[in-house]
Amino acid sequence: MGLRDILSGRKKLPGPKDDRLFALTTAAVTLQVELGLKCAGAAAITFKPQSSGEFRSAFDDVDKLLDAVAQQSGSTVERKSDDYGYDWIVVHDPQLEDLVGTAHTLASELTAQGFGEQLLAAIFKFDGGANPVYWIYGFKRGSFWPFVPSGKDQRDNATELELKAKLEHELPIEPDLTRWLALFDAPL
Amino acid sequence: MLLTSGLLGLLYVIFAIVLFQVLNVGLVPMLVIVVGIAVFQYYTSDKLALAAAGAKVVSREEAPQLHDMVERLCGMADLPKPKIAIMNTPVPNAFATGRSPKHAAVCVTSGLWERLEPKEVEGVLAHELSHIANRDVLVMTVASFFAMLAAMLTRFGLYAGMWGGGGDRRDNNGPPVWLIIFAVSILVYAISFVLIRTISRYREYAADRGSALITGAPEYLMSALQKISSQMTLIPNRDLRQVEGMNAFFIIPAKAKSAVGELFMDHPPIEKRLAALAEIAREMGRPVA
Repeated sequence: MGLRDILSGRKKLPGPKDDRLFALTTAAVTLQVELGLKCAGAAAITFKPQSSGEFRSAFDDVDKLLDAVAQQSGSTVERKSDDYGYDWIVVHDPQLEDLVGTAHTLASELTAQGFGEQLLAAIFKFDGGANPVYWIYGFKRGSFWPFVPSGKDQRDNATELELKAKLEHELPIEPDLTRWLALFDAPL
Repeated sequence: MLLTSGLLGLLYVIFAIVLFQVLNVGLVPMLVIVVGIAVFQYYTSDKLALAAAGAKVVSREEAPQLHDMVERLCGMADLPKPKIAIMNTPVPNAFATGRSPKHAAVCVTSGLWERLEPKEVEGVLAHELSHIANRDVLVMTVASFFAMLAAMLTRFGLYAGMWGGGGDRRDNNGPPVWLIIFAVSILVYAISFVLIRTISRYREYAADRGSALITGAPEYLMSALQKISSQMTLIPNRDLRQVEGMNAFFIIPAKAKSAVGELFMDHPPIEKRLAALAEIAREMGRPVA
């Protein structure tokens, strides 16, 4: 943030960085071979809807496109909203590539409509450990971080740090641990 | 805003020149003290403000919903998560403090959490997070620094006048040195007082706008502001005075002032804030691409 931004106090919301999403598909091999973690066939993208009519109509277009993409790849798409006023697009598909692809489509379409700033995160579920493992992609940061909930409002930091250590070379992992946002109520 | 900062800057330069020309003793120790206080305030601003307000930092276990809410808003605004504190008073209000986003704290009163809808609380929190993102503590510390210096010099000039019997004269024809310092300091203080408040009001508008961007729904901040301001006046003054010193930090000042010129207020009047938010709400849908 530059001096001018500080003086004017007119900071814009950071735009989305969706280009590194696909790194997860290459890291999937390591996840399976070394850690025994398999894609659980579910992912979700969360964003903050604007209340303006323009956003609603733009999102309707994105929504239709999403259905078309889902039909092509044979995945199912659900829409949900949570207590905090964020909307969720939940995708079910056994193929991780399709999940990542759908997330990327949603992100790039929303950006094309001029509402990319509303994107918060995408979350991908993996099975195979004692607790389910989630990889969260932060659109603002353009990086991934692990999220392993171990009960209500508790996360297994040891496993998360282990995952970070093992995948650091393959996945753009968020270096600042304070940014490792939790999503306990992800509808996956 | 730029004009105001420019004027403030110009004022400092003039002030410094006058000081340099007129004052020849005691400047260095005095500067050391003033700078020291400013640095201390700046570095401890998060703890200082929380302690002054009697707020308690709460862990995730104590307030999971509040933590979740702040975490996600930080995600939207791309900010590190600040410390979260709760102040136990029925007056619905909130403030943010801290010298940088990494050393920041957000405080809400228990009244805010209980009396407002979650989406309204979110609008208020996003307003406070915008203050953090905009580095308003830094801006206000810098802006207030010279006002504080001027206030100290005024006192210094007074003492010099009382004890020195007119102080030392630089030449026989001019007025006493202490009188010049005294007059200049008072003038500097008065002008910077108005300018600081102008900046403060501008930062409020900027934070309202930031809140609208983060939440995507300015109408909830609007209803929150309306609720807070109407409830503030309903509550007896005894409660309000307890928190009055924190005004510059609060989303809405704790005490309803009557018929004070807008120039002297650190927050814009609620009607103007609502009008500005309504304008943002109308603009918002239009993509800026």
